[in-house]
Amino acid sequence: MRSRFDRRSVLRGILGGSAVYMALPVLDRFLDGNGVAYADGAKLPVRFGTYFWGLGLTDTPAGGTRWVPTKTGLGYEVMPELEFLRPVQDKVSVFSGFRAIPDGRANQVHWSGHASILSGIAPASPLAFDGPTFDTRIADAIGGNTRYKVVDIDASVSRKPVSYSSRDGTTFASPETTPLGLYTRLFASGFQDPNSDNWKPDPSIMLRQSVLSAVKDQRAALMAGVGKADQAKLDQYFTSVREMENQLSVQLQKPGKCEACVVPAAPKDEAARSASIDVVNSNTKAMAKLLAMGLACNQTRVFNFVHTAGSSETYIAGQSKIYHQITHDEPTDAQLGYQSQTSKIAGMVMQGFGALLAEMNAVKEGNGTLLDHMLVMGFSDTGYAKIHSIDNIPIFLAGGAGGKHKAGQHIHTAGDSVTRVSLTAMQLVGAPVGEFGTGTMKTSRPVSEVMA
Amino acid sequence: MRAAVALFALAAVLSDCGCGIAAAAGAATPGAPQQGANAPIKVAVRRITESQYRHTIADIFGMGIKINSRFEPERRDDGLLAVGNSDLSLTTSGFEQYFALAASIAAQALGDNQAAAIVPCKPSNPAGADDGCARQFVAKYGELLFRRPLTGPEVAVRVRAASAGAIQAGDFHAGLRLALTSMLVAPEFLFRIETAEPDPAMPGKYRLDAYTKASRLSFLFWDTAPDAELLEAARTGAIHTESGVNDQLARLIASPRYEQGARAFFVDMLQLDGIENLVKDPAIYPKFNQSVADGAKEQTLRTTIDLLIRQKRDYRDLFTSNETFINRPLASVYKVPFGSSGDWAAYTFADSSERSGILTQVSFLSLFSHPGTSSPTKRGIKIYEIFRCEPTPNPPADVDFSKVKDSTQGTVRGRLLDHMSNNGCTVCHRRSDPPGLALEHFDGLGQLRTTENGSPIDVSADIRGTKIVGAQGLGNFLRNDPRVPACLVRDVYAYGVGRKIDDREEDYLADQARAFATHGYRVPDLMVQIAASPEFFEVVIPKGAMPVPKPANTTAQAR
Repeated sequence: MRSRFDRRSVLRGILGGSAVYMALPVLDRFLDGNGVAYADGAKLPVRFGTYFWGLGLTDTPAGGTRWVPTKTGLGYEVMPELEFLRPVQDKVSVFSGFRAIPDGRANQVHWSGHASILSGIAPASPLAFDGPTFDTRIADAIGGNTRYKVVDIDASVSRKPVSYSSRDGTTFASPETTPLGLYTRLFASGFQDPNSDNWKPDPSIMLRQSVLSAVKDQRAALMAGVGKADQAKLDQYFTSVREMENQLSVQLQKPGKCEACVVPAAPKDEAARSASIDVVNSNTKAMAKLLAMGLACNQTRVFNFVHTAGSSETYIAGQSKIYHQITHDEPTDAQLGYQSQTSKIAGMVMQGFGALLAEMNAVKEGNGTLLDHMLVMGFSDTGYAKIHSIDNIPIFLAGGAGGKHKAGQHIHTAGDSVTRVSLTAMQLVGAPVGEFGTGTMKTSRPVSEVMA
Repeated sequence: MRAAVALFALAAVLSDCGCGIAAAAGAATPGAPQQGANAPIKVAVRRITESQYRHTIADIFGMGIKINSRFEPERRDDGLLAVGNSDLSLTTSGFEQYFALAASIAAQALGDNQAAAIVPCKPSNPAGADDGCARQFVAKYGELLFRRPLTGPEVAVRVRAASAGAIQAGDFHAGLRLALTSMLVAPEFLFRIETAEPDPAMPGKYRLDAYTKASRLSFLFWDTAPDAELLEAARTGAIHTESGVNDQLARLIASPRYEQGARAFFVDMLQLDGIENLVKDPAIYPKFNQSVADGAKEQTLRTTIDLLIRQKRDYRDLFTSNETFINRPLASVYKVPFGSSGDWAAYTFADSSERSGILTQVSFLSLFSHPGTSSPTKRGIKIYEIFRCEPTPNPPADVDFSKVKDSTQGTVRGRLLDHMSNNGCTVCHRRSDPPGLALEHFDGLGQLRTTENGSPIDVSADIRGTKIVGAQGLGNFLRNDPRVPACLVRDVYAYGVGRKIDDREEDYLADQARAFATHGYRVPDLMVQIAASPEFFEVVIPKGAMPVPKPANTTAQAR
């Protein structure tokens, strides 16, 4: 009789069909019976997501904008392009007047704005960020004990699938682009229904773990004689291997029950391949619905959602010009004082964000909704797209963050760095980060007004 | 020289070290220390592309293996994915995809009916472990996948995995599946790890090791991993000799696989990868669908390969030839009859069709347009970037667009003339727009038209003082532009070496461009000429590459 269990002896036991004892490393936090509250019942886990849309929101050049409320604090008025957030206004904080500060570097159009928000550094080139994106730090802090540390989604149906999440600033995540793809990832192969009473560990998982051990075994030999940039690439590769290992070990744990989890049906049809705004919004809604269940079923706690990319290719069906062209070409309407077409499409684009928040808010969880137990940071690449402005980039924090976010406020500054909002988001969801950004954008000052 | 090579080759054969790295360095200077200045270094870590992955798997395990997976996004830099991808690693979700794919390939290749055909030995016990047979399997397929012989530890760790798996599952092949999966997700397979070693002929200098040279040749000409003969040329050291390289080049270029390699090059250079995600507004272009998009890509590739590789015609004919191939969905877009019973048929456009050269094909015209309109600017920018290797900078961030008037009537030329008269825009638009304006008889999908919003479309253009008219005028202009073949030379070289071109290489490229012209602008000759030049194997040492420690125990290969 062996006195200690190792992976092989356990595996033999499982495959032999007799023992089901699990000699696995204990995860640092266990869930209780409902699968989402901690064992002490103190609180539900907090989830985090980024939500990106392209081309900012519209200015009224003579003064004001189509989206910044005049009133600050609680009870701000809903501006025309923010109509989407009316149903969830008390759960959404609006941040205006924050800017990306390039410190003498060129404004890389449709790139510097979100690069600054995500990495804290104004980028040197339009191909890469100059550092990792902050969502990866949040994923490291809160995403470890679920099947997927992070899920990336791109609903834009445009040229290249886009993600702005990167660990090295160069290699970007490959997102799910269709409801079927997202469903398959979250709920098809490898999915274990947390509410099933017939859970058994899948013996093939341990075999897959042994495959990864063989890969990792050669790490030292591989790293020898490698240049600096190549070393970073290989480090990223091995980080991915480690995360895969973690994913497998999570799957060997009996999942705790999740009362809010209702396994959705597979999407029937493939989404239409068209980048028109109605298709992008319906793609957004369908994927948000699946994502909400993915979160409620504890498959992931962190996501990055792209509605439309920086140089958005979306358009109104039948209209020959795309939104991007219109933002630049359309003159300011002399009577209205703003670009009327641009503002109309901006409002339609924001319906996507509204749809995502509505789906999160529709899932009842604990004493509130899923949205109450998460934080979504929504932002764009520009402020006023017509002039590629990276001042006054619209940013939103939505959701209660488990009671940490004093939501429903309008915060306005006269040109503070966007990194303050990024830092606020990190701290609201419990990432151990005290300082973020470089140069003028370096900050250790979160927006304390929204922090409980 | 010949004697030295023979000695080197013999040493390589006699060395019981199976590791490519150690074999090369150890053979070059037997007994030399493996640390310090004489140690091998890794000069590049390049992620293999989707097509390289697919070709490699098909070559090793057969065409029947199904690969249903999403691959990591690629990145274009200096006009080429081959350059941009050299900077990329693997994300978590990307690794997840490769991991699932590896298991799927292993299950297919070593399925109950297939395993016997690919395993080089019979296991002593099909229901258990057989380390000897597993070792043979790992050594054989490891060398094909890693593109060099495996080291002892690399084999051993997989033999252990196979053994454990076989015992657990009671199935020898189940164990091999694990070993194979681990090779298919290994960085040594997913990345091309290029290694340099001290050059025995030039003390203090480095040369690419033999297996790295074999891979460079194989990926350039075949878009796949080296075959047994290339690996053998590396093993014997023949690839370090001029005649050895020439022998391989003659074989590479004569092989039917060369077309596959040339296709991969032209997909990258012509940016045809973009077709996969191309979208059009169906309300404006009802004829557009995925089969038109796929057909458009295939049409351009067929045209290019037939003209340049099979017929070995002058590269510049690509811009003027009206010979092409079409299928049924494309015939509808081109509004020409399709009478063939096959999927594809050769077709020669009439002069009146205004179609000549690949710039008048649906692929180029639709790829570089908006979803609902054509875009002379996009087309112009891409003509400069793809065919003249001249990138256009991003528009300045502070352009005052308010002076640009909107035009919902008339032709797009009017709107662009506004750009050209605007100080902030003029520098780039004066350059980018004229070639695109010459293509305005083709809409955003590539359909022929002569009016827009009821106004006749003017397709005359002035390219830096040269007046041209229409697509045929543009084709002739490019045919006679010496920068166009020079750009191809640059692309072939950058594609092969997988990195940005250094300023110091300009003289070399100019020499190659002259030779290209002298030999009648034949693309296969150009590729051979570049691959045969010493510069193709030149070592560029990356920042911070440290000497490697002495390799651990290695083992003789079972073969």
